[in-house]
Amino acid sequence: MAFQFEPTVVIETIPMLMRGLKLTLQITVGGIFFGFLLGSGAGLLKISRNFFIRKIAGIYIESIRGTPMLVQAMFLYYGVPMAVGIRIPPITAGIIIIAVNSGAYIAEIVRGAVQSINPGQMEAGRSIGLTHTQTMLHIIWPQALKRMIPPLGNQFIISLKDTSLLMVIGVGELMRTGQEITAVNFRAFEVYMAVALVYLVLTISISRAMLYVEKRLSTNKG
Amino acid sequence: MIQIENLHKSFGSLEVIKGVDLHVKTGEVVCIIGPSGSGKSTVLRCINRLEKPTSGRIIVDGHDIMAKATNINTVRAEAGMVFQQFNLFPHMTVLENVTLGPIKVRSMAKKESQTFGLSLLDKVGLIEKADAFPEQLSGGQKQRVAIARSLALQPKVILFDEPTSALDPELVGEVLEVMKQLAHEGMTMVVVTHEMGFAREVADRVIFIDQGKIQEQGPPDQFFTNPKNERLKEFLGMVISHI
Ligand SMILES: Nc1ncnc2c1ncn2[C@@H]1O[C@H](COP(=O)(O)OP(=O)(O)O)[C@@H](O)[C@H]1O
Ligand SMILES: [Mg+2]
Repeated sequence: MAFQFEPTVVIETIPMLMRGLKLTLQITVGGIFFGFLLGSGAGLLKISRNFFIRKIAGIYIESIRGTPMLVQAMFLYYGVPMAVGIRIPPITAGIIIIAVNSGAYIAEIVRGAVQSINPGQMEAGRSIGLTHTQTMLHIIWPQALKRMIPPLGNQFIISLKDTSLLMVIGVGELMRTGQEITAVNFRAFEVYMAVALVYLVLTISISRAMLYVEKRLSTNKG
Repeated sequence: MIQIENLHKSFGSLEVIKGVDLHVKTGEVVCIIGPSGSGKSTVLRCINRLEKPTSGRIIVDGHDIMAKATNINTVRAEAGMVFQQFNLFPHMTVLENVTLGPIKVRSMAKKESQTFGLSLLDKVGLIEKADAFPEQLSGGQKQRVAIARSLALQPKVILFDEPTSALDPELVGEVLEVMKQLAHEGMTMVVVTHEMGFAREVADRVIFIDQGKIQEQGPPDQFFTNPKNERLKEFLGMVISHI
């Protein structure tokens, strides 16, 4: 039997993906939120004056960046509960995986942005009697944050796409929803095309939004 | 106000300050001159401990800056610093640059700090730029804001590290004017500079540093008209012939 493309299947599939889309977005936003906190912490520890603190942050960053997220997901969802004896619900596990994974990349973004600020800024802050922490908080961080926006937007897109890997731990996100639909209608071509289209609309919207924010920030000071 | 005794400073194995003694009295204006790389900035930066002395003693307004009991942030608020590259905070308005210190270090109320900050901007002739961002200012204006920012802590002494060296020649005058005014008001100042005219006119004492040591010092008339040190003669000749 010859293959025949059915455009209507693509169109019919899209509304069926909305439940998965909602989960994908929840996990991405939650994961990036906690990933940002984790990454900010790890990034700042990475430039600490204490050798051991730097090492600890380095081990986290290296081990996450040096292993596939799929392995991290399987390890955290199937491996860790065997050792600790608690099962985590898939969605929570998904948010943790995205947070831990993106956190390692965000740590490098944070480190790079903070280190890119002219050392004269720290000296100027210290010279008026601010403590190291106050200078970080009021002078270095706001300037670094602005420089982090483009790479953070990029990481958001990467993590959004990475949530598709969470299908292996049974999270009913976009990709898994698509797979479940093909199991019923056997229209893999149309269904995955629909899935791809949804991802594409999301990622293009995000990068457009980031461009807009960057433009706004480069015309407005502060 | 400042007592430096037998200051030594090394970066790794390179000794750049080789035993400097310097006392600065309250109200005194001391200008430091010397060739590039001779250690002028390093001496200045040791005074507020932006660089940690390798050995020696530095007392600023009665505080031994190396003592465990000394809160270095208190000392830094008493000893303001003006940098060659201004180092204004680019994400803050001019007024915010000036009021940050009073608010965070002196725990001044915001309203009060703004009134005070505006009076300082008025003093350096930039009150109309209060809401501008540093990026919108000329070099000379930036440096005047930087002076106002350090004045905002009501310091007992201000350390200037080549405050006019990054400026276009036509903007040097406006910054030197503000510094002259401060000197006349009795501010204690230590100024690293290449502006010989300023040193001659304003300094109570001029110091020549070369190869990490004070080679000669004295009141400006004597210092400039009758230098003893060979390298100073050479240096003054060189500087004048370059103008
Ligand atoms: N942070 C540093 N690390 C290593 N060497 C330095 C550092 N700061 C200054 N030096 C060196 O110390 C010497 C004196 O520098 P500096 O005090 O800046 O001289 P000046 O201000 O008189 O031009 C120079 O040889 C300079 O290269
Ligand atoms: Mg210098």
